[in-house]
Amino acid sequence: MLPNASGKVVVTVGRRVKTRVEEEGKIEEINVELPHEDLPPWEEKNLVWVGKGIPRVDGFEKCTGKAKYTYDIHLPGMLYGKILRCPHPHARLIRLDTSKAQRLSGVKAILSQENAPPIPWYNDSFLFDRTLRCVGEEVAAVAAVDEYIARDALDMIEAEYESLPFVVDPEEALRPGAPPVRPGGNLLDGKPIIYSRGEIEQGFDEADLIIEENFSTQVQAHACMETHGSVVNWEGDHLTIWESTQGVSDVREGMAKALGIPISKVRVIKDFMGGGFGSKTREGKYTVIAALLAKMTGRPVKLMLDRKEEFYATGHRPSSLQYVKAGVKKDGSLTAIYLRSIGACGAYETPLFPSKFSMIDALARPYRELYHCPNVKTEVYPVYNNIPVHTAQRAPGHVEGTFALEQVMDQAAHQLGMDPIALRMKNYALKDQVEDFPYTRKALDQCYQKGAEKIQWEKRNKKPGEKKALICEGIGMAGQIWGGGGGPPAYAIIKINQDGTANLLTGTQDIGTGSKTVFVQIASEELGISPKDITITLGDTETTPYAPRSSGSRTVPSVGPAVRSAAADAKRQLLDLAGSILDSKAEDLAIREGQIYLKNNPTRKIPLKEITQKMGNNMIMGVGSRGPNPPQAAINVFGAQFAHVAVNTATGEVRVLKVVSIHDAGRVINSMTLNNQIEGGIVQGMGYGLMEEVIWDKGTGIMLTPNLHAYKLPTMLDIPEVVPGVAEGSDPANNIGAKGIGEPPKIPTAPAIANAIYNAIGVRLKELPITPDKVLRALKI
Amino acid sequence: MKGFTFHKPRSLKEALAMLKEADGKAKIMAGGTDLLGAMKDGIMQPERLINLQEIPDLANIRPDNDRLHLGALVSLHEITVHPSIQKRFGILAQAAQEVGSPQLRNMGTLGGNLCQRPRCWYYRGDFVCLKRGGDQCFAVTGQNKYHAVIEGGPCFIVHPSDTAPALLAMDASVRIAGPDGEKIAALEKFFMTPRDNVTRENILEPDQILTEIMVPLPREGSRGIYLKARERRCWDFALASVALLLNIDDGICQEIRLVLGGIAPIPFRASKAEEVLKGKPIEIELIDQACRMALSGARPLASNAYKLELTQALIKQALLTLSNK
Amino acid sequence: MTHQIELIINGEHYELMVKANKTLLELLREDLDLTGTKMGCGTGDCGACTVLLDNRPVNACLVLAVEARGKEIVTIEGLAQGETLHPLQQAFIDHGAVQCGFCTPGMILTAKALLDNNPNPTEPMIRRAIAGNICRCTGYTKIVKAIMAVASR
Repeated sequence: MLPNASGKVVVTVGRRVKTRVEEEGKIEEINVELPHEDLPPWEEKNLVWVGKGIPRVDGFEKCTGKAKYTYDIHLPGMLYGKILRCPHPHARLIRLDTSKAQRLSGVKAILSQENAPPIPWYNDSFLFDRTLRCVGEEVAAVAAVDEYIARDALDMIEAEYESLPFVVDPEEALRPGAPPVRPGGNLLDGKPIIYSRGEIEQGFDEADLIIEENFSTQVQAHACMETHGSVVNWEGDHLTIWESTQGVSDVREGMAKALGIPISKVRVIKDFMGGGFGSKTREGKYTVIAALLAKMTGRPVKLMLDRKEEFYATGHRPSSLQYVKAGVKKDGSLTAIYLRSIGACGAYETPLFPSKFSMIDALARPYRELYHCPNVKTEVYPVYNNIPVHTAQRAPGHVEGTFALEQVMDQAAHQLGMDPIALRMKNYALKDQVEDFPYTRKALDQCYQKGAEKIQWEKRNKKPGEKKALICEGIGMAGQIWGGGGGPPAYAIIKINQDGTANLLTGTQDIGTGSKTVFVQIASEELGISPKDITITLGDTETTPYAPRSSGSRTVPSVGPAVRSAAADAKRQLLDLAGSILDSKAEDLAIREGQIYLKNNPTRKIPLKEITQKMGNNMIMGVGSRGPNPPQAAINVFGAQFAHVAVNTATGEVRVLKVVSIHDAGRVINSMTLNNQIEGGIVQGMGYGLMEEVIWDKGTGIMLTPNLHAYKLPTMLDIPEVVPGVAEGSDPANNIGAKGIGEPPKIPTAPAIANAIYNAIGVRLKELPITPDKVLRALKI
Repeated sequence: MKGFTFHKPRSLKEALAMLKEADGKAKIMAGGTDLLGAMKDGIMQPERLINLQEIPDLANIRPDNDRLHLGALVSLHEITVHPSIQKRFGILAQAAQEVGSPQLRNMGTLGGNLCQRPRCWYYRGDFVCLKRGGDQCFAVTGQNKYHAVIEGGPCFIVHPSDTAPALLAMDASVRIAGPDGEKIAALEKFFMTPRDNVTRENILEPDQILTEIMVPLPREGSRGIYLKARERRCWDFALASVALLLNIDDGICQEIRLVLGGIAPIPFRASKAEEVLKGKPIEIELIDQACRMALSGARPLASNAYKLELTQALIKQALLTLSNK
Repeated sequence: MTHQIELIINGEHYELMVKANKTLLELLREDLDLTGTKMGCGTGDCGACTVLLDNRPVNACLVLAVEARGKEIVTIEGLAQGETLHPLQQAFIDHGAVQCGFCTPGMILTAKALLDNNPNPTEPMIRRAIAGNICRCTGYTKIVKAIMAVASR
């Protein structure tokens, strides 16, 4: 750090405070260092780069085929790994004979329980366990000179299993006498997860109208276009891992722990990645296996999952069965909300979070938070069953829960004769009711209003199903709440170069969301130079400082402020330097568009690079860290979607014609990448609503949809017209005024479509996905 | 895929000789889109592939006076854009357009589309079902929303082809080459139900090759339509489909051929529905009656009864469209 | 069993020995280090492996390398002329049609084949032509916009 204008070297003593950080519903108190200075919020009218839809900085590599994804990495001498997987839903491995496979020419190593360290995995299981609890569990692995030989070797491994009783249906798993998935019973912790506020029975007594409905949502696959996988290489005792991941630091930590080596000896690199959506948040068994095979052979190993393994071994959004009972008064005010739900965990608890926090309970959060209601009780039963363990997927829990809750609200509005938007406004929650904190900003009302205008809300059927026709059209809406406030810790470094350009380093990931571009814009804005003069490096644990996993919609709100801080730090040093060269006071100077100028006489300016040239080899390095969140406040993202659908009442086919989606995510940093998230989230939400489903055969426990034709992803021909938008304004929660937008757009789509279907045909579809057969059955009733 | 040897015969004679010599261990390859997929799924592992792409004349489109000759290796894409097919055999062009995806239509062939293996997720999955030589049809008590509602049993696959119902509606026939020479079979005799043979879907023997499809020119004034109901608008096989060829003169139905796809192990000729309308005026009551009769005798499984209404809806829509109602 | 094949890839002539069971996709990615073409599913269900074979978009995962003998293949690496991007590549960048980028090579090639065949397609024609390319990130809207922008020039 350079001396400031008065010659004093200022050393910041890191004052530490506690702050609340929320991620996917898990709330933690973190110790964080206060940043150097409190940066004032940007003023809209002065913004040069922030808010613009500048094209992605890495578009060139992606459009030319130059971008290297994990699968594209090729190292000299590299071997290919393949995993042998259990074909049974529940079994004990009795015999494993790898001798024939060992003798196959080109096979360099075989790993199994016999020679692998007993690395703990899931609750009380291991990397290779003798008891296998779902089809697809890892039994052995081979490294060979090419993939063909590796596959042939797998076929030559003799594995004998003793089949054990199994259960795939979650309701059946809960029944007394159900086959035990785990010791200790199939109900996680032996009891439901219960939340309660107020007096639920009293609440129902006060109601004038009670709505009771049952809903069921399906298992949804992430279906990232790039499957999971790693390339690993040892150099002595130093391990480098190229991994398709949302969290390089999490993989690093996890691998160091699993292998029992120092963290400093593990380097994780993620450059380009073909989607994650929540599935790539930590190291996989395949990563550890690849590292062990590489150690055994002394050669780099590439282990990529194929599409079938992707379905079997990487986790999904869990299914749910929800019973909802809601009480409202005649004037529309909610008096009581009760949820009882069963969520299918899979064969283990999710490895993502400590065991006491269950992502299955996440679906209860909208019930607790989205609307003002004094009496709420949620009872969630997470259930083990013999299918792959669930994991996070784009807005875990909120997608499932909102599907049910928003239909209940829609039904209540209908039965009360109230406009569905008016009902929601009647129950507008002014604060977070679970923790009793005010929101830093809530512009949900603007989202309702703006969305209603753009869909032409007044054109909906006044009475659901009132028009009888072959094709019936309808309009429906749904709202959403999500976290997305982010928090510390997150760090960024900006190095200023002699020619006035800069390098920005931060250890976060761009999982396709465009965060690279967003951070360049933030740095540009604060530093006063053009985005084309900033090169960003992300996602390398060796060279970039810590930033959190890209999940929970927290990348922008966590890392963005750190980037701004780093830029502000660098700017201060630059202005100090400029001040000493120009014989001015640093505080009288500013930088804009690559020029340093006098604040009170902007015509007196000098190009930045003339100052930086004078640096020589002295470094100006700005370091920024994410400060604390505002105390005693809840930071949330809100939004509303409006869908216009057409239902063919003879064939049951549903066409979504248009979706309007307005969100309060605070300040828009890049309008193009923001709209990308909304458009993409809606299509995923539509897939969830209308066609995607992972299906198992109950009789055998085998998955029937482990490929991309039986598992149906929306195609170009299925999509609606999408109108994205935001509630203008910024959120005071952090120094960039922005919250995360990655997940919120997926939440309200399915219920908006279902409510639109109800408006079209007067029939409510409560089971997902809403396929033609279900519509036809519902129309018959 | 497992290893195999690849052969590209220059003539049909050479191809037949290779097939015979392989004694059941070879598979014919046209566009390869179904074959390679099936090999990757592990449901077939031929030791030899005999690729027909270099044999002249197998990909010709040749009209003559009263019929169109389509080589079995004509691509589906070619069928969708060929001006005479669009104009005079429109129902086939429409059906071909509904197959798979643009990329699959560029490689996939008409012969391949007729001979493709079923898409039942038990058959294609890790199950040794009846069709694969096992002793059980898993769909009966399992997940059967996509399975057959009529002519099924003991196996309940549906025939996945879109071009088959369209060609059957046009009374097409096929030319089959074998070691003993050539024969011509009506398309309606080409497909086999599971009762006839559970391990196959058509009459082709392992040493025979489908070489040509012949389509009679529809009567002057005929109209055709192919409708397909599906869960998403690309790739998907039919939940139900309807191929209708209709000739109306003066409001009276002179000729009707109605074939249903996606509901039976074979493209299903809805003769009972045809009987209701043939020779009669196309009135709404008769249309409704025909729809009801189309699948009479159907025996749906636990989850596929919706196919009955769905098919009726498509038949009605087809009839109304073609009769300008 | 190996076969000798000659083919043209991105305008360059290649003579190669390939095993019968090697797919065109594997040949491109593994033997020739042309990793721009991606493996999404291996079964023709996603279009990530789309290449142009004699100007037609096909799924390279379902074409055997031996079938490509004598044919002309174009992959994403063959589009830019040195540093000058093909108009479609530039349009995808400018219009936000790229997110994770995994489907992008296949999308651009399919679009190129469409525009080479029909320089002025309508929007429905574009949608039908690109229907065989799955995108899990963008929701497709901006992809159509990017292609329309090039088409209307």
